Amino acid sequence: MELINNILYDTVYHSTPIILCVIGGMFAYKANVLNIALEGMMLNGAFISTLVMFFTGNLALAVILAILSTLVYGLVFSVMGITYKGNVIVVGLAINLIAPAIAGFVMKMMETANINLTNVNIAKFKINIPLIKDIPIIGAILSGHPPITYLAFIGIAAFAVLMYKTKFGIYVRVVGENEDSAKSLGIKTNFYKYAAVLIGAFCCALAGVNLSVERLGLYTNDMTAGRGFIAIAAIYCGQGKPVLSSLYAILFGVARSLAVNLSIYAGPAAGLFDIIPYIIMVTVLAVVSIVKYKNVKVRGFKNEL
Amino acid sequence: MKKSRKVLSVLLAAAMTVGCLTACGGGSKDEKSADSGKKSDVKIAIVCDSAGQNDNGYNQTAVEGAKKAADELGVEYKVVEPTNGIPAALETLAEDGYNVIFNLEYDFDALIKGVGGSEPIAEMYPDTTFVCVNDNPNVDESGNVIHDNVICALFDVHEASYIAGALGVQVLENKDVLFPAENYKFTDLDKGGRAIGFVGGTNSNGITVFSYGFVEGINKAAEDLGVNYDYYAKYDAGFADPATGSTVAGTYYNQGANLVYAVAGSVGDGVASKAKEDGKLAIHVDADKDDMQPGYILTSVIKNTSVPVFDITKAYVDGKINDIDRLQTFSLASGATDITDLTQIKNALADTDEAQAKWDEIMTYIDDLKAQIADGTIKVTNAQVGEEFDPGTCKNVTIK
Repeated sequence: MELINNILYDTVYHSTPIILCVIGGMFAYKANVLNIALEGMMLNGAFISTLVMFFTGNLALAVILAILSTLVYGLVFSVMGITYKGNVIVVGLAINLIAPAIAGFVMKMMETANINLTNVNIAKFKINIPLIKDIPIIGAILSGHPPITYLAFIGIAAFAVLMYKTKFGIYVRVVGENEDSAKSLGIKTNFYKYAAVLIGAFCCALAGVNLSVERLGLYTNDMTAGRGFIAIAAIYCGQGKPVLSSLYAILFGVARSLAVNLSIYAGPAAGLFDIIPYIIMVTVLAVVSIVKYKNVKVRGFKNEL
Repeated sequence: MKKSRKVLSVLLAAAMTVGCLTACGGGSKDEKSADSGKKSDVKIAIVCDSAGQNDNGYNQTAVEGAKKAADELGVEYKVVEPTNGIPAALETLAEDGYNVIFNLEYDFDALIKGVGGSEPIAEMYPDTTFVCVNDNPNVDESGNVIHDNVICALFDVHEASYIAGALGVQVLENKDVLFPAENYKFTDLDKGGRAIGFVGGTNSNGITVFSYGFVEGINKAAEDLGVNYDYYAKYDAGFADPATGSTVAGTYYNQGANLVYAVAGSVGDGVASKAKEDGKLAIHVDADKDDMQPGYILTSVIKNTSVPVFDITKAYVDGKINDIDRLQTFSLASGATDITDLTQIKNALADTDEAQAKWDEIMTYIDDLKAQIADGTIKVTNAQVGEEFDPGTCKNVTIK
């Protein structure tokens, strides 16, 4: 019982940053601007929030500055990639590289190998919901998480509404699907692309804060450890659909959680769980594209090899 | 529009130029020599690993060793944080006439074997002494030394881990006396609290050497106290992701473990963070990191690189460099590896005479163990040199 509770709790733990990146990144995906800078943006959010928290101890200020600085990265990405039509892969890569470099530089100036928030007790961030926390299984899922975790899961629903039920969401999708028609209708396409990227930056900043300040109370360089790229994979597998993509994000959370929790019983073999999501993703991507292109005809003929 | 584009491109070009200049200029730092004391024309160089010279551990202690050598032996020293690879740094330093070059990075191929068809750097500069720290790559398949001008320095971290394990058991068994109850949330010893965890970055001899020494130390103390301990170990946690460390430690603590030992770089920072969150204890590694989470890190197993740097430099200055063994191991007794001075955990002890008395008792026990290791009474398995660990010898530890 305890084990199941732990697995569920850790699933939520490990899913959260990926979910935030997914729901942020899917707007850019839908607007046809591939934002591969999720990783760098998340790292920046983690770094700035920890840094500000370290010097001021003010959580609100830390979160706000983390978001603002990450939005700056979002703006740089947009200006380079959208306004000046630069290659978004190159621009995104640059952001992924510069975020840890800046953090490393600042930490070198501070003469420290990582930033530790000794003034913060992370147990205080956890929200223990009365009554619910005592229910087995449900309690482990719903209770005892820090605030941004709840925001992430609420965000799935909120962003699904934003994407499918509002003018903004529809325009973003139109811009992505057919930019020329969108332009012919007088939609300011660049505005919607900018907005899509900036939403992603906002969510990534929150993911970073969750990962560093809320959960660990420390920053170490490259602590995002590829979660941003996992999020991109999840977005692709879920074809940018909020719920489906988030489910893939949770799949990663489940796998990581199993790998961690079962190591007591299975030893090193538990690490095998870490590869399950990758196998599933490769399979899904392959199957989806096979199904999609199976009956495509080019000038009346089947498109075969 | 056109104009703004032009401005932007000028700005970009300017930024790139500045970037280039700084990158080129970043090759080396710090050049100091001792003005006081006796002069020597020996020049030594420290090549840092990627953590850099302010890592508060591995690199920093090496620099301290070099400073000490400069003060006491009058050598000139230089600290290099390589920006375009270890081989280039080694070559440049050898070309500049440095006599002893310490390589702290785990990158020895160009030095020993030569890469890209070029001859090994050690062969190109036969008059320079190269020191590889933390590994012994300078032997061929049959165990013979390849280059006479390469010295390898290894640390007997298994001995320090042994001490850490014994200390851990002693502290846990007396936790109610030692620590004020309101600060910690230890699991009762009778309800599964006799358990200790280990988190390793990767399953290799460089990591298991810590774990095996640790288990043997736990076993020794458990045997002396007549108790049995469970031992949880994970060897695939990686080195980068503290969140993984935090959750792995969380599962151990949930299982009742009261102490987790992490040998996994940044992953260990997550373990320490979890120790504070759960009100239990962690052991860190490589440098004195006790003040990261004061009171929740029992101790750190340290590698003090200042000892090999100073000793080998001294051998060179004394002209004995060719007489010493090509493989130098630095034991617990040499001070190159040890646990910390325990200042932080002492501050967390309960403010009672009873706690103080118990603590002194434990310290006596630990000092006794150190003495027994030094004189060879206790032999700790050294996985780093290929010794096999036999779980059967640890009867008081159940390895899960």
